[in-house]
Amino acid sequence: MKRKLTITKQPIDEAELLCAREMSEGMGAVIYFLGVVRGTEAPDKKISAIEYEAFQKMVEHQFNLLFDEMGKRWPIESVRLVHRVGVVKVNEPSLWVEVVAPHRGEAFAACQWLIDEMKRVVPIWKKPIAA
Amino acid sequence: MHVRVHFYSYFKDLTGCAQSEETAAEASTLADFLRKLFQQFPKLAAMEKSMLVAVGVDYQPRDYVLKDGDEVSLFPPVQGG
Repeated sequence: MKRKLTITKQPIDEAELLCAREMSEGMGAVIYFLGVVRGTEAPDKKISAIEYEAFQKMVEHQFNLLFDEMGKRWPIESVRLVHRVGVVKVNEPSLWVEVVAPHRGEAFAACQWLIDEMKRVVPIWKKPIAA
Repeated sequence: MHVRVHFYSYFKDLTGCAQSEETAAEASTLADFLRKLFQQFPKLAAMEKSMLVAVGVDYQPRDYVLKDGDEVSLFPPVQGG
């Protein structure tokens, strides 16, 4: 399974990511997910941005363990994941994930699983910045 | 044994530092080490149940036996995405 992980302070360039997509003729499903910073944190607390902090070396290691496991569970051809660190303003994407697989079932399942597991084990934290 | 401890997220606020150089007795487990560390950083003790603990880049259980030169990282539940 091909994999590409990017942890970056730079804004996520969706157009560039889409242009860089590669897939073989046997692939029939591409799922991509964008996580965007909401303007509220708790029910009524307005925020202007979230500052993301990462334990970079462990982030890379834990994502690679998740990619290994994902490749064992589903016939995924490739996964690409971009996560922002630093300050990300409201309405800007903080996370971009793409999974390429032969069929939509495994692509949806793998993408959902990867994001759920990321939120459980990958050492990234949020600090809301008040509006 | 020498052990370097790293704190992440709001644990840095609770301890007032991002890292600390500590010593541990031979054959100390993470549980032993944390008990000693909580005396030095009492505000961390309240976080013990939800605290995640890694040695190097891997999570380790509280019965992990520390080695000289280990780097221990302590942090609250993760929140990526």
